[in-house]
Amino acid sequence: MTFAGIDIGSTAIKISIVDENKQLLGHKISASGTMFYKYAHDTLKSLMDEIGIKKDDIAYTVATGYGRKIFKEADENISEITANAIGARAAAREHGVINTIINIGGQDSKAISLDEEGHVVNFAMNDRCAAGTGKFLDACAMNLEIGVDELGGRHFQSTGTPLSINSTCAVFAESEIIGLLGNEHSVPDIVCGVHYSIAKRIVKLVKRVGVKEGIYFDGGPALNEGLVNAIENELSKKIFIPQYPQITTSYGAAIIGVDSYVYASMS
Amino acid sequence: MSDHKIESVKQKQNRHKAMEAISVINTMKDEFKNPLSSMDSFYKLYEDVYCKQKSLHDETTKVGTMCIQIPSEIIYALDAVPIRLCNGFYTDDEIGSDMLPQKACPLVKATVGHFASGNFSDKPDFIYSPTTCDQKTKAGSTIESFGYEVVDVDFPRMKESEISREYFRRSIKDFSAHLSKQMSKKLTKKKLKESISKIGYAQSLYHKLCEYRKDASVAISGNDMFFITNAFFFDKLDDWIDKTKAVLSELEQRSQDQVSVASKVSPRIVYTGSPPIFPNFKIPMLIEQSDALIVADETCSSNRMFNDRVAVDEWFVGDMLNSLADKYLKACTCPIFTKNDDRIRRIIDLYKTYSADGVIYQAFAGCSVYELEQRSVLGAMEKEGIPILYLESDYSPSQGGQLSTRVEAFVESLKMKKRKKA
Repeated sequence: MTFAGIDIGSTAIKISIVDENKQLLGHKISASGTMFYKYAHDTLKSLMDEIGIKKDDIAYTVATGYGRKIFKEADENISEITANAIGARAAAREHGVINTIINIGGQDSKAISLDEEGHVVNFAMNDRCAAGTGKFLDACAMNLEIGVDELGGRHFQSTGTPLSINSTCAVFAESEIIGLLGNEHSVPDIVCGVHYSIAKRIVKLVKRVGVKEGIYFDGGPALNEGLVNAIENELSKKIFIPQYPQITTSYGAAIIGVDSYVYASMS
Repeated sequence: MSDHKIESVKQKQNRHKAMEAISVINTMKDEFKNPLSSMDSFYKLYEDVYCKQKSLHDETTKVGTMCIQIPSEIIYALDAVPIRLCNGFYTDDEIGSDMLPQKACPLVKATVGHFASGNFSDKPDFIYSPTTCDQKTKAGSTIESFGYEVVDVDFPRMKESEISREYFRRSIKDFSAHLSKQMSKKLTKKKLKESISKIGYAQSLYHKLCEYRKDASVAISGNDMFFITNAFFFDKLDDWIDKTKAVLSELEQRSQDQVSVASKVSPRIVYTGSPPIFPNFKIPMLIEQSDALIVADETCSSNRMFNDRVAVDEWFVGDMLNSLADKYLKACTCPIFTKNDDRIRRIIDLYKTYSADGVIYQAFAGCSVYELEQRSVLGAMEKEGIPILYLESDYSPSQGGQLSTRVEAFVESLKMKKRKKA
């Protein structure tokens, strides 16, 4: 018996499938593109093929994320904040207790504070604006004419002072970056500055919910080691990055699926 | 999991400050037309001190001063160096915000924050705080709570009275005796005379720089002037003199070649109010990025520090100290004084002498004395028919948008007037 968690985000669709012991059987990530619904189905289908299961083998499906309501076949849908909390605790169980989650998604960023039981006690999200999100990194990488996956490496090549990006707006920040490039400043120093500007914004969110020990960072940008280091420096604390930072929320949704299924069969 | 090392608190603060500093330095280098090549040595100085935490004074005793009313001449005469502690970093402002009221002045918060962090490239050995504005006066005890000793120096609030003059003369004698004891050194006639003339020489260089700002084609920007005058806070005096002389000779060449840093239509601005202290050059930058040019200023981080010379009658220690006290009191146009018509006269005088088109008055939100004096200054300017813009700002880096609209609109209105006149 398996359980699926489907996280339909603004930028990517993440699907995790777990067994009844909440062990991850497989996961898949694809771009959300323009047809969330179709892509979600296609992604689920190819993940099922990969693991070697059929539709009927999935006992319970939980949808989460910004596009969760589009996936009508789901047995349940749940906010990405709850799913993220559950997923983070589970993904880090061998590492230690997670009390704070930093999530940077494609178009939003958030800090979530958990109580001892792992329940969400408080959370803070960025204001309606793409500053400090994955989109911001995408835009910066595009301006710098490098791949978004190269940002981390460039960060550590910086030998000068990181160049501040003062605009909080992603659009204006782009023009700042273009200005810096025009004046022939070093790309690594700019990349470093971009990471610190995101890190500072994120740390402000974290401070709003309270900085505790046991910090977990997920979402695609958590793959960027430069950004990770910038956030660690701004927080003056080590943060834990899971093996698959992008799928934490879908993994959490799948786990919720197990619990809901058990609960439903009990009653 | 990443195995990169995490910065210590000190490293983090230094990085934050370095990032603030480098963006101002880069703006100067990148954004303005006809940059002076002789300014590079000043930019390098700032980069060394604020991005690389280079210490300039090593073994020399450093005397920190909380305001400009402590005579540098006495400090130099005792073989120490004065370091002005007024601080312009948003990083330190944020640290200080935890210790002072929300509405306190950012300069005071940043100064207190700097002490709270204890993060100095040249840490002062002694700290003297003249009792100028309320916030600076009270900041001393907060700074003491971090384990420093702050010596208060009496400073009167009435400038005109004879009592004030006597009072401050005594206070300066006390200060000089105190420092002399701390240093275990006698203040000699020879040394004091030497330092008075050396500072006088530095002042004369400042005045020469200003002469070039009176020309129709101005060879140096107001922001570069702030870089030069701010460096006087912490640079080695001889080095400062050398660098300034290099700027002067480039200006002389420029004056012959008629090279200007602004266009002919750029409005000429007199800048007054709360002092721009590196790296908080937010408003001066906005002004010059809006195609105006600061040709003169009336601030304690620049003009007020250099404008008036010490007038000595007799070259005896006692007389010299009296003359110093008079200069630092009577010539001061700080708004902490009960009445301050001198400041208004100075602004009008600068406006006329430097053929300015308008005045921009900045007050830090929380700097109550400048906020209070807004009314009298604005009234006086109106009476004289001098256009003036009043702006309130702080150290936060994200206020640019709102302020730039106001500055640009004011600059445009001055341009219109200029065009009409022509």
